Amino acid sequence: MLLKLNNIFKWVTTGGQRIFLLKDINLEVQEGEFISVMGPSGSGKSTLLNVIGMLDTFDEGEYNFLDESVHTLKEKHRSNLYKEYIGFVFQSYHLLDELTVQENLEMPLLYKKYKGSERKAMVADMLDRFNIVGKKDLFPAQLSGGQQQLVGVARALIGKPKLILADEPTGNLNSQQSEEIMQLFQKLNKEDGVTIIQVTHSEMNAAYGSRIINLLDGRKI
Amino acid sequence: MFKNYIKIAWRTLLKNKLSSMINIIGLSIGISACMAILIFVRYEATFDKHHSKAEKIYRVVQHNKLPDQTLYWDITPYPLAEALRNDFPEIETVTQTMGPIGQEFTINNGQELKIYEEPRVLFVDTFFPKIFDFQWVLGDPETALEDINSIVLTEDMAKKYFEVSNEDFDEVLGKTILLNGKDPLLVSGIIKNLPGNSNQNFSMLIPYGFFKAQNPDHALNWSGNHQGTTYVVLPNTGLEKSLESKLASWKKKYLKPEEDGRISFMLQPLTDVHNETAYGNSPGGYIMPFNILYTLTIVAMFILIIAIVNFANLLTAQSTMRSKEVGIRKVLGGKRLDLIVQFIFENSLVILGSLVLSVAGLNFLLEQLNINLMVINMQLELGLGHIGLIFIVGLLTIILAAVYPAVVLSAFKPIRALTNKIQFSEVGGINVRQSLVAFQFVIVQLFVIATIIVSLQMDYFKSEPMGFSSDAIVMTTVPNFEKLDVYKQTLLENSTISNMTMASGPPMAVDGLQLGTRFRLPKQPPEEALDAEIKVGDPNYVEFYGLELLAGRSFTTNKEAFDEFIVNETLLTSLGWSPQEAIGKKIEINEGQATIVGVVKDFHNNSFQRDITPCIIMNWAYFQNQAFIKIGNNHTDAIAKIQEVWENTFTGSVYHLKFLNDSIENEYLLEKLIFKGFTILSLIAISIGCLGLIGLTSFMVSRRNKEIGIRKVLGASILQIFFIFSKEFTSLIITAFVIAAPLVYYFSNLWLENFAYRIELSAWMFLSGGCLTLIVAMITCSFQSLKSALANPVNALRDE
Ligand SMILES: Nc1ncnc2c1ncn2[C@@H]1O[C@H](COP(=O)(O)OP(=O)(O)O)[C@@H](O)[C@H]1O
Ligand SMILES: [Mg+2]
Repeated sequence: MLLKLNNIFKWVTTGGQRIFLLKDINLEVQEGEFISVMGPSGSGKSTLLNVIGMLDTFDEGEYNFLDESVHTLKEKHRSNLYKEYIGFVFQSYHLLDELTVQENLEMPLLYKKYKGSERKAMVADMLDRFNIVGKKDLFPAQLSGGQQQLVGVARALIGKPKLILADEPTGNLNSQQSEEIMQLFQKLNKEDGVTIIQVTHSEMNAAYGSRIINLLDGRKI
Repeated sequence: MFKNYIKIAWRTLLKNKLSSMINIIGLSIGISACMAILIFVRYEATFDKHHSKAEKIYRVVQHNKLPDQTLYWDITPYPLAEALRNDFPEIETVTQTMGPIGQEFTINNGQELKIYEEPRVLFVDTFFPKIFDFQWVLGDPETALEDINSIVLTEDMAKKYFEVSNEDFDEVLGKTILLNGKDPLLVSGIIKNLPGNSNQNFSMLIPYGFFKAQNPDHALNWSGNHQGTTYVVLPNTGLEKSLESKLASWKKKYLKPEEDGRISFMLQPLTDVHNETAYGNSPGGYIMPFNILYTLTIVAMFILIIAIVNFANLLTAQSTMRSKEVGIRKVLGGKRLDLIVQFIFENSLVILGSLVLSVAGLNFLLEQLNINLMVINMQLELGLGHIGLIFIVGLLTIILAAVYPAVVLSAFKPIRALTNKIQFSEVGGINVRQSLVAFQFVIVQLFVIATIIVSLQMDYFKSEPMGFSSDAIVMTTVPNFEKLDVYKQTLLENSTISNMTMASGPPMAVDGLQLGTRFRLPKQPPEEALDAEIKVGDPNYVEFYGLELLAGRSFTTNKEAFDEFIVNETLLTSLGWSPQEAIGKKIEINEGQATIVGVVKDFHNNSFQRDITPCIIMNWAYFQNQAFIKIGNNHTDAIAKIQEVWENTFTGSVYHLKFLNDSIENEYLLEKLIFKGFTILSLIAISIGCLGLIGLTSFMVSRRNKEIGIRKVLGASILQIFFIFSKEFTSLIITAFVIAAPLVYYFSNLWLENFAYRIELSAWMFLSGGCLTLIVAMITCSFQSLKSALANPVNALRDE
């Protein structure tokens, strides 16, 4: 088992009133799963993903990730945990505009104390694997959306995470580009055994996954 | 890692060229202005401190207690030095100087006689070189001044007189210079040029013994006219008070009883001489009062603090644009400390850029100060120490201005940072920022309005009628009285010269052309005499200067024994006479008695700082050593003609010609310096203030980015949006004005009280300063607010 959510509640208080963002979420994810989260806008999909990714906190319930109980961990340990095991892919890619493709890929490694030669090898490997060697010296602004997201996925993978969290990774892409990213995800999941949780609005994308979770008003249905 | 930081930093700098430039330039203006002021202050506060005995040297000054006032003199009777030396063995050394005064020198270089006039000749005794440290290039300080017919030159003088280079000074030693055309002096030493911050501002030294031999009466006279400056060296600091009290009981040994009652001798530390105002400046020198130096130090500190605060502000404002990067880096594993280090490193690079620019800026400012303050022989230099200090300031800036935004920025929660929900209130309250900018604009308006007021007072000096005409009048000296008539006749034959008069000085006392006396009725005792100024003028004087006769007539002749006076109204007021009553009355002055034959309407016989004082014009044949010449429209022709006639008439003397208006303007030298100072400070304040405003506007613009987008989508015009921003800082500047105006009112009134004749303060002077600031601010901000107003609203709204 990779992670397990037990009775997770998350709320905000406005004007003395509790507004629930997540309500009594229970979820078990095994290693090697490919899960799609679906639901209307505002139903809490991003919130759930952020909680799983430990970028956001929750107010009630238990969260276990690889035998660690996240709800009892200190902020610092939590961030060490996600840095090691989780890779993030965003709808708007979130590449650093001032860095080239190659430098963007290298960036997470800089925070992990790899040696220079190791970093080079890992970056070269990724460029190769994603077929973007020719683009390595370009800046994000010089790439198409699909290419940028490719770099985004490559960057998420470079630290060899167990879990990839992707919040509408194809939201800004056309259907052909979407398909490429989905096929990439499928391949990563099948061949490398990477666990993937993606948020998507598209039934077609959801079909790539092995399981679908539906959310409505912060509740799993 | 650092390679990565440098890369990001460099690319970010390039991407935001404009804001990076503003940051770098703004900080360096602040640092270099602050440093320039501090270097100036230090220079002015360390006059004569370079002498090794500086702390133990005191100048003997005199306090002269009169019934109505106390006079403070920096000069002492000539015999004082000798008497102190004999009577006080506890004084280490006593030295006396006389001058600096102007002298004429003649050089025979083998082919021709060359005549020079040197304004800064100092007569000094043999103790002088033992007290003050000068760098002797040639000659022995112990013996150089022993022979009374010797002279010591500064390097510049040696070069000027003997046309030699540095290596050939040997040749100069032993050469002869003729003093005032008759006394041969042997060059016995050469010293390095004096530093600018020394009160010993001479260009040559002549033995005091020579002066004594030439003026045996003066040299032994305890009362009467004296010009000696006496310095003593005490074995230690802190002994001056006990010596002062000994002097108090000792002086009766030499002074007349009535003078003993009035006069006391005090000791002034040498290091205070330049900064204490009471004793006035020695000839050719100037005083820089302590309180100006204190004020300048505070201003310098303010400038620096404001520049650093602005810098921190701008940097924080710009850092918030990087919230996305913070989010990404944190999600990808960056720890808070990594980010702090990165941003401090980045900001430090910007600061480093500013520091390099500051050194260049400081160098430029010092050069400008030296050029603009040439009249006071300003010699500011950029030293290695100053550069070191700049880097210390830089370190301080890093701590104050680079750490803060880095800490704020690195604290962003990654999710919030990525979804652009960072509120600008999170990086320091907008109210704090507004107050800081408002405060800066208080200072800006203080300087701007003050500059306006000073310039109006300067203008008043020029435009206010003086009560006599001064246009197109030049003055030349008359070195030889016997040839005066020839000079006059030849000049008047010329068509470009319309009128002439010979006198002791022009109606307004300029260039020190002022003779004082005391006047009374013949029946009054001498103690009741009052101060008056005398002018010796020929029969043409009153008509030449257009003085208005209220009663009586002008002179008809000049006499060896004067017998006629023309007086001004102010003099009559003290006597209680009307102009008509005064005619035919006799009055007595120090120089003798005469009858009043005319009364003239008051004219400004003093520059506008001082009131009109009692003034007597007399028909004396002596002291008419200035020729005033009215020239026609064709100035250059007339001036060439005057020089030709003068040089043909008075062979062997140095020709001088001055425009009367220039000399009058010179009386306002200090005011002119103040005006320059205020103008420079205003410009600095405005540029720093505007940078602060840019910082604030960028905050306001980014804070309201979304609001502006929505407004535009809903149909607001560009002008309406521009107006939203203008409203914010207009109210800011009005607030600043309300605070600044009364302060300026108070201080400018204080300053204007220095002048007997001054402008009336009125509201428009203040309002125009306020409007000017507002316009400058408006232009400064228009760029950013227009950019925001013109931006495509879709961009502002898309980031959700
Ligand atoms: N910090 C917050 N404070 C208040 N409401 C929030 C906060 N974060 C999210 N929400 C609200 O929670 C709901 C779920 O948001 P989100 O998880 O982003 O939805 P989804 O990704 O499914 O569109 C939305 O209505 C959103 O407005
Ligand atoms: Mg969402």
